Amino acid sequence: MINSKEFSWPVLLVWFALTAIGLIAIYSATQGPVSQFLPEYIQNNFSRQIVWISLSLFILIAIQFTSPRTFQGVAYIFYGICILLAIITIFVGIEVGGGRRWLSIFGMRLQISEFLKLATVLAVANYLTHKRDISVGNFKTALTTVMIILVPVIIIVLQNDTGTALVLLALIPVVLFWSGLPYGLSLLIISPALIGYFSVIGLLYGAIAALIITITIFLLQKQTWLTASSLLLGIVVVIGTEVALHQVLQPHQRARIEAFVNPSLDPQGAGWNVLQATTAIGSGGLQGKGFTKGTQTQLRFLPEQWTDFVYCVIGEEFGFMGSSLVLLLYAALFLLLLRMAGVHKHPFAQLVIVSVTFLYFIHFVINIGSATAVLPIMGVPLPFVSYGGSAFLANTIMLAICLNLDLYRRSFSIYR
Amino acid sequence: MVRGRNPNNLKTSIRILQAIVLIGVMVMLVRIFQLQIVDYEKYSPLSMQNSIRLEVVNPARGLILDRNGTILVDNQPIYSVTITPANFNMAKISRLADILKMDEEIVLNRIREAQQYSWHRTSRLFTEVSFEVFSDIQENAWQLPGIGHKVESKRNYPLDLKASHIMGYLREASREEYLSSSHIRLGDRIGKSGLEMVYEDFLRGELGSSYLKVNAYGQNLGSFNDGELNISPSKGADLITTLDAEVQILAEKLMEGKTGGLVALDPKTGAIISMVSAPQYDIERLAGRMDMQYWQSINTDTKTPLFNRAISTRQPPGSTFKPFMGLVGLHLGLVTTETEIYNSGAYIRGRAYRDLADPGDYNLESALAYSSNTYFLWMMDRIATRSLLNQWSSLIQDFGIGPRNNIDLPFETTGIVPDSTYMNRNFGVRKWGVGDLMSLGIGQGMVSASPLQMAVATASLANGGYRVHPHLVSQIRHTNGDVDQTNPEEKKKIEWIREENLDAVKRGMKASMQIGGTNYFAYIPDIEIHGKTGTAQNPHGLNHGWFIAYAPADDPQIAIAVLMENSGFGSVSASPIASLLIEQYLTGTTTRPHIMNHVLNFKPEGAVVNDVPEEVPVP
Repeated sequence: MINSKEFSWPVLLVWFALTAIGLIAIYSATQGPVSQFLPEYIQNNFSRQIVWISLSLFILIAIQFTSPRTFQGVAYIFYGICILLAIITIFVGIEVGGGRRWLSIFGMRLQISEFLKLATVLAVANYLTHKRDISVGNFKTALTTVMIILVPVIIIVLQNDTGTALVLLALIPVVLFWSGLPYGLSLLIISPALIGYFSVIGLLYGAIAALIITITIFLLQKQTWLTASSLLLGIVVVIGTEVALHQVLQPHQRARIEAFVNPSLDPQGAGWNVLQATTAIGSGGLQGKGFTKGTQTQLRFLPEQWTDFVYCVIGEEFGFMGSSLVLLLYAALFLLLLRMAGVHKHPFAQLVIVSVTFLYFIHFVINIGSATAVLPIMGVPLPFVSYGGSAFLANTIMLAICLNLDLYRRSFSIYR
Repeated sequence: MVRGRNPNNLKTSIRILQAIVLIGVMVMLVRIFQLQIVDYEKYSPLSMQNSIRLEVVNPARGLILDRNGTILVDNQPIYSVTITPANFNMAKISRLADILKMDEEIVLNRIREAQQYSWHRTSRLFTEVSFEVFSDIQENAWQLPGIGHKVESKRNYPLDLKASHIMGYLREASREEYLSSSHIRLGDRIGKSGLEMVYEDFLRGELGSSYLKVNAYGQNLGSFNDGELNISPSKGADLITTLDAEVQILAEKLMEGKTGGLVALDPKTGAIISMVSAPQYDIERLAGRMDMQYWQSINTDTKTPLFNRAISTRQPPGSTFKPFMGLVGLHLGLVTTETEIYNSGAYIRGRAYRDLADPGDYNLESALAYSSNTYFLWMMDRIATRSLLNQWSSLIQDFGIGPRNNIDLPFETTGIVPDSTYMNRNFGVRKWGVGDLMSLGIGQGMVSASPLQMAVATASLANGGYRVHPHLVSQIRHTNGDVDQTNPEEKKKIEWIREENLDAVKRGMKASMQIGGTNYFAYIPDIEIHGKTGTAQNPHGLNHGWFIAYAPADDPQIAIAVLMENSGFGSVSASPIASLLIEQYLTGTTTRPHIMNHVLNFKPEGAVVNDVPEEVPVP
């Protein structure tokens, strides 16, 4: 039976808070004075979001009455169905902005890739729960794990949704790490992303990052071959980034990267979004310009301000107080979830909760990183805050599952 | 699952993940702190500039009115489409051409021009577009980045009065003008001739500025802060001219189709009542968008319509010079008012100078009345032989014949009243003699003057010997209510003119009005008019007709000089025009339709060439 004292009310509270802030921002971004410049279907985003939130809340509650074993049981089937639907989407999906990402099911437009994330998390967790830990000697398990994640990543790339694909890809090191991949090796597999990032900013930064990572790996695992390959990898990535930037990338991709490094180079072109976004946030100051009073938001200077750039709306209209509150709420959510994982005895639950936390975290980093020009702009929504029904529903279901696993942690046997 | 099974490992892993998450959040926190707190001063103005545009608001140019407050020149709104090439998307060119209802090629060419001029400055793409096109552009501006619209104004001439040479036209300021002035912006139109040029600084007014709220599409969303920061433009000052619109309209009508110039002024003040140079150009066609074809045609016209004959031409004044000759002769003591000189039909000095007046004795009065050449040639002979040339020259110039009179118009020219320096320069030192000077006495040869100079000289006869300062603008009325009396109606007594001498000349001019054609053409019922006709030799074609006059004789209120080029006798060509204008000015109407018809239908070809005083070599 459900013992409501076991339920993690703080997590639900954070969910409520983020959802409410999201609604306020979406209202301002679509129903404020700016609405005169927006087509009606975008103005309707606000009311549509309320419907999705209501539905999600209902499902969140419903999930609490399900047995945690169900998730393990349906993991593969759900994964299979989602893969299938995602493939169908590539061919018959509704085309919006150059990508087929939406599938119309019973009159509802669903973004299958959002549910595919959830399916992948469950499938990976279910697979790894039955395996021994991953080490260098256990290469096959690691490879299968990578494949379970890579298949949906490829499908999502085919849907022309690089942002979501990237988020899912970032799940690989997380689950591998959690499944026992040695620290040094774990660091090694994420090192290309880190070194690459710093190399884009500057060759020197990339080199310094490579050096620090190599030293860290040496300190962690004191294995010559590992340290050597880290060093080699570092050099390859630094040089590779340089070559890619100038030889391999398409002009429009390069423009995006250059715009990120120096947005003022082309303020009317590729740098426009970056400049408008940072201007919106920066001009918010400490207290913000006030609800529906942000000039950047209301005069339509921000692109996609109800989804990818919703954080700019918050930053502009509620200032540092508003935007730091959002950061603190996310910090609370991540830490609460991680503690949940830490006290759980069942490996499936641990893996699911850790994976979900990091899916949120990666969304969080990429979205806010894009809005604040810390990262190049990648179109990724902010969990629970951005407009988007499928994403909201999928994110809430993931949270509901975490809450469910936590709620039943005593009865959920640690044995399979 | 090592980590799951080993509590210590699990704890470490969770710690590591928590650390990663915290680092991520901290990085973002630092970043927004940097953006919102540290760099607030940088981004806040940036967001203001983003949504606020500063627009320059052109002031209305000052009006030009006549002496009675009738508006001669005002402004009329025109609609312009502008472009900032850097922001324009060339792919939209067909859409733009559609809205403008123009050929794509024409639009493309204009855009190229604008690009050559500047990529980042806004230039006018098309001016004087229809209101319909203008509102289409306004509605579609958000689809056409870089394209703007602007209400501007052009000069409008509400009366049937051009006064092109007086008003002048506006043209876009040149690069030098733009760079050397803080008021003029590139693309501004400034006065390039006439009053528009001379009074540019007053007429222009002061630019205003307006802060507008715009969105990312550049759509105008109304004024910022309810217009609190706006500076409204200050309208240019109005010019009150000395012109009389009625007289000017008539004068232009009478001069239509002719070549020449006339100046009528108030002999007491120098205030110009009317001034015409014919042929004139149509100032209205130069007011708005540049009509290149028309501009070319008036520039290349052999009759030089852009040339202001009233103040810039130099023509020998012919017999209209005789009254001044008479005054100078009296002053120099060559003659007295009683002196009689015999005319034998020609004056012989090296060669015979024909005299059309009947043979007999002439004193000053009758010499003026019948325009006897002999009398004045005789005087010039004395002046030349007694080396009085320089004195003569300076006395003549005292009337305003020759020197600049500093009228408030550009391009006023000097006339020629030779002195020894002039002769030396043109003929060589000691290479000239009496023979070269003789014809000066009858206003022929090198002596030359503009209608303005003759009018000023005539005024000095009318007002009892005062040199007036001719001017067109009497008041500058500033927008704030201040009024500048721009032209002190200064006049200078010509000290050497003596009352009794002047009276003798006046009697001669009075008498001349009763003789022959002049009596017929210049006679005005109930108004006594004093005048003198002149017919000046023109080696290039038909002789030029002159007429100078003032009226009413007892208290002159108008002095006038009319030059009709290639029109034969001044009595037939110039005097009727002067008399009609005098009548119009003094009575407010004209009563002689036959004279009016004569002028309107005047054909200079009908004038007889041979019957003019001319130099005939001794057989």
